[in-house]
Amino acid sequence: MVGDIVKKEKSKKEKEKEEDHSRLEPEDKTVRELLTEMKDNSELIADLAYAALVYDNRDLAEEVGHLESRMDNMMYQIRLKSMLSARNLDDAEQLSGLLQIASSAEKISDAAEDMVELLELDIDLKSMLPHILEKADEHIHTIRVLEGSDLVGKKIGDLAIESVTGVRIIALRRKGRWIYGPDGKDYIYANDRLIVGGVEEGYKKLRKVAKSKENWKGMKS
Amino acid sequence: MKKVEENLIEMKNISELMLDLAYSSVLFSNREIAEEVIELEEKIDKLYEEVLSQILETCREGNESIDRAKIPLKVADSIERIADAALDIADVVLREIDLHPVVKKSIEESDEVMVRKEIKKSSFLDGKTLEASKMSSEIGMKVIAIRRGKNWAYGPSKNIELKAGDRIFARGPKESEEILDKWLGLKSE
Repeated sequence: MVGDIVKKEKSKKEKEKEEDHSRLEPEDKTVRELLTEMKDNSELIADLAYAALVYDNRDLAEEVGHLESRMDNMMYQIRLKSMLSARNLDDAEQLSGLLQIASSAEKISDAAEDMVELLELDIDLKSMLPHILEKADEHIHTIRVLEGSDLVGKKIGDLAIESVTGVRIIALRRKGRWIYGPDGKDYIYANDRLIVGGVEEGYKKLRKVAKSKENWKGMKS
Repeated sequence: MKKVEENLIEMKNISELMLDLAYSSVLFSNREIAEEVIELEEKIDKLYEEVLSQILETCREGNESIDRAKIPLKVADSIERIADAALDIADVVLREIDLHPVVKKSIEESDEVMVRKEIKKSSFLDGKTLEASKMSSEIGMKVIAIRRGKNWAYGPSKNIELKAGDRIFARGPKESEEILDKWLGLKSE
């Protein structure tokens, strides 16, 4: 009997915990994890937005939208968690600085989302924007990975693409699906289409390897 | 629209530099870098005003449809807001409040690292231009600022020559920091 009551209480607590968790969807992360992700996203989302405009691409624009709502959600979580952890005025002051940085990152995602709204207007973007954006320091290109390329079947992290070429993969498309902001654990396969950003020389280097015209030299041991 | 294009490109470049500088000013609690972000924001504001007038002027002269003019208008507006956000980040450094320790840890744990390194006297990088150093093209390390004595070069051009004693601030992938350290330790022949 006693055991039953204890069990019941526990399950009630567990239920509360669950409810709490669902309110903090999608994951329960620490303030530090949230802020790291928000910073990374603030850098990725502008790249994605420019790429969406340059290629007049709705999939990329949609991902900007997803990322933006994720940023809103993370902003909400980080605000709640900061409030709960402030014990005195010093804490509150320090946390207000932290929140200012988080909300700036969130503002960047808002700006990026507004930029891709251009795709919804019935205007031909291709006649203007690629032209403009291709003159910037950072270029955006697509690269198709051919069969037989040294890149095929390897992890992005093992290839150390960014540290070898200075080019980062903003997104990749495989069999009609997108992987956005892929990380080091993601593989590259034949026929993947990469959307990359970075300096021109690095892009040329990577393209040669993707087209199997050159071998990859930068393999991490 | 040629002037508009040029100004937009400059705005985009500056806004990206501002964000890099803003995050690194936070990481290194560096007021000088933070102050540069404020100055760059003033530049962006000026460019933004110019772009606005130029677009309106082109439309008035009937050289561009209103619909098409919306494109650069909206892009300029977003870039200006990104620059504003960078400014808010730098502002945290300029206020006399200690940063929460979690902030630096968050930035350090990011995929992209911000580093601050010194060019040693015997280093092979001493006397090389940024382009010849191949930091950007070979290991993806983008130098966002160089401090030489009391002087700073922000968003340095690729022709700038590195000198012993320079302190460089760079941004790049995590795995490149190790390579950069090796390079910095390499002696000139």
